[in-house]
Amino acid sequence: MVSAAYAGKLLADLGAEVVKVEPPREGDAARRRGPFPGAVAHPEKSGTFLYLNTNKRGVTLDLTQQRGRELLCKLAADADMLIHNFPPPEMHALGLEYDGLAATNRGLVVVSITPFGLVGPHRDYQATDLTLWSAGGVAYLNGGGPGTDDLPPLKAFGRQSEFQGGLNGALGGMAALFARLRTGAGQHVVISIQECVAAILELTFEFYPYMGLIASRLGQKPIQPLDFFECRDGWIFLCCVEEHQWQTWVELMGKPEWASMDLFENRLTRAANWDALKLFLQEWIQEHSVDELYRAGQARRVPLAPVSTMADLLASEHLKSRGFFAVLEHPQAGKVRAPGAPYRFSATPWEIRRPAPLLGQHNDEVFVHQLGLSAAELTALRTDGVV
Amino acid sequence: MATAAGPLEGVRVADFTWVWAGPFCTLQLAHLGAQVIRIETATRPCVTRMLPPWADGEFGINRSGYFNQYNQGKLSVTLDLKKARAVEIAKELVAKSDIVCENFAAGVMDRMGLGYPVLQQVKPDIIMIAMSGYGATGPESDFVSYGPAQVPLSGMSSLTGYRDWPPMHVGISYGDPTGGLHGAVAVLAALLYRARTGRGQFIDLSQQETTIATLPEGVIDYTMNGTQPPRQGNRDPHMAPHGVFRCAGEQRWVALAARTDADWQRLARAIGHPELATDAHYGSLTARKANEDRLEEMITEWTLARSPEDATRTLQAAGVPAFTVYNSKDLSEDAHLNAAGFFVNLKHPEVGVRQHVGIPWHMAGTPCAVRRPAPCLGEDTDYVLCDLLGYGSSEVARLKSDGVVT
Repeated sequence: MVSAAYAGKLLADLGAEVVKVEPPREGDAARRRGPFPGAVAHPEKSGTFLYLNTNKRGVTLDLTQQRGRELLCKLAADADMLIHNFPPPEMHALGLEYDGLAATNRGLVVVSITPFGLVGPHRDYQATDLTLWSAGGVAYLNGGGPGTDDLPPLKAFGRQSEFQGGLNGALGGMAALFARLRTGAGQHVVISIQECVAAILELTFEFYPYMGLIASRLGQKPIQPLDFFECRDGWIFLCCVEEHQWQTWVELMGKPEWASMDLFENRLTRAANWDALKLFLQEWIQEHSVDELYRAGQARRVPLAPVSTMADLLASEHLKSRGFFAVLEHPQAGKVRAPGAPYRFSATPWEIRRPAPLLGQHNDEVFVHQLGLSAAELTALRTDGVV
Repeated sequence: MATAAGPLEGVRVADFTWVWAGPFCTLQLAHLGAQVIRIETATRPCVTRMLPPWADGEFGINRSGYFNQYNQGKLSVTLDLKKARAVEIAKELVAKSDIVCENFAAGVMDRMGLGYPVLQQVKPDIIMIAMSGYGATGPESDFVSYGPAQVPLSGMSSLTGYRDWPPMHVGISYGDPTGGLHGAVAVLAALLYRARTGRGQFIDLSQQETTIATLPEGVIDYTMNGTQPPRQGNRDPHMAPHGVFRCAGEQRWVALAARTDADWQRLARAIGHPELATDAHYGSLTARKANEDRLEEMITEWTLARSPEDATRTLQAAGVPAFTVYNSKDLSEDAHLNAAGFFVNLKHPEVGVRQHVGIPWHMAGTPCAVRRPAPCLGEDTDYVLCDLLGYGSSEVARLKSDGVVT
């Protein structure tokens, strides 16, 4: 739903001609995911689908039918890359093995984004975003901190393991295209999402091989302040990593007497005595507004940040001036504002050329005009539910 | 060690990055076979060289597991970029490179005399990527950005957390690897464009924006409806049960999810409650969401009586998505990851053989592999100056005594 679609979106937004292949009738699962205008479900108005499929054309194909698979092979014969996220059992059932797809197109790059890769004892395990975030080791690291042993490890919002899979898929696929310039040959690129998640554990994993220690969300942070505080009108995240940042912050607070206590004399003791320090800080911070502290702190090079709500992001003068949010003009959903270009190229602009496709919108264009089927053949395929 | 060429064989990267986001980008390029040369300064070493974990708890500039993880396969040259002569040498290196990567705050490279307009003169088809926290333009572009603060800044914290709790973190500085990966994607796109047109370009990446790009459900709920999804712990609006459940043992947990009604029926039978599979209180997603507290209690009764590994085996055998919530020891010892050859165990001159996380993709035609461990500080200075840039050994000695090369 997300991983292959995001990989395809990254390529489509950079100018590739991407054709989204969906099952007939129900379409992609993201069409049922929302968010929907007014919270009323509608397959053409799901925000997740509209976002993940910008700049793509869309066709429908029933891959459980032989003729559906044949048409997919025809499409692949004409393509530079095929991206999918069917786990191994479905991949085999649908005939999406690399050898078969590449038989008629030596240059084809096939990107398989899978939960656990294609080898090893867990290759056929069922998975969701939550189980993969857990299998990759990030979930264990997040929770309520010291004293919250009874609370479970906590996932991040959204479908982050799938986004990581998609990013790695796009990267591997493009690297294979680059290699093809030299070798003339395509290849099979296999992504394991569990490994993608295990690859982003910051400094935590190496504590085990380097020191025999297991990083835990329940431990005291090594340095402070690095924590959330409630202001008059919202939340900020206070971040003082270097001593000079803390000293500047203390000055900004008007040098309260408690700040000079021995207990808080360096970042290590501030961490060791965090319960006490946090109360002092909270008392001062709650009298101020988010924006006031953000501006005042940043003006003095203290790297604190607001805890942005979605409203804050959309209202941000900074993001506005960079033109970050894009408007997707969709025939049924209307104008939808969504995250836009995550990078800006000086020579090759990122742009929205078309909105996400309606279900089966480009069946004629792709099957008749591109693959050369006759109108009668397409009608027959439609009658049989292949398209 | 793999000997076959990786997909980016022959591509050279002048790597001015530091901390995590930038080095994570160039790690991908190194994994793909590019020669990545980190330009370091001995007087101001990479932050990650100065952070734990230290091998066997003993501090050393080359002993940090944090640095050694994210700089695998790269080379290191030490230049004191405060000195004009060092900046000249950096330019000579750029002239022999395809890509320049940096993640300083906006404007820092320009002030060092290494901004894109200068480097474009030095190497007209250079591809340069700047990966700052806020991006290269806009009223906040010169703000200070640290990884932990990026998660709340991007909006992720306001969406993440236990129900009725304050906003929370996600456990890692998520903007760093997400920015780094988007950066690597952008660099590959620019390489493909250069191969076709002969033209390089400048890429402006904002870590804040790349993180927001992974939050469409949050952003679009707001733009469509003026609301944002409430913090839901591990629950999901479209699946139930969907959570992390306590198992037997100290801090042992299993994650599981029922994607569909059929998943739920299989789950109910697997946990010894076949009668629930047909119970109207749980028969549909709507019903399970309405009774989710009770549902979670019943599942916890079952998980508490077994290890997460047992729970996973039972549920997977029934076709239900489930997995142990892995800690680093679990990952390190995982039979599957080890069978797949995921971990890297190369010998580092100072810390010996340590297990590192490897490459999450597998390419049959142009194999990717970690070809050497992370470099010691300045390990490749002589190679870069002599072999690559053509300096003689007496010149190098003079540069060293002048403190240009540190």
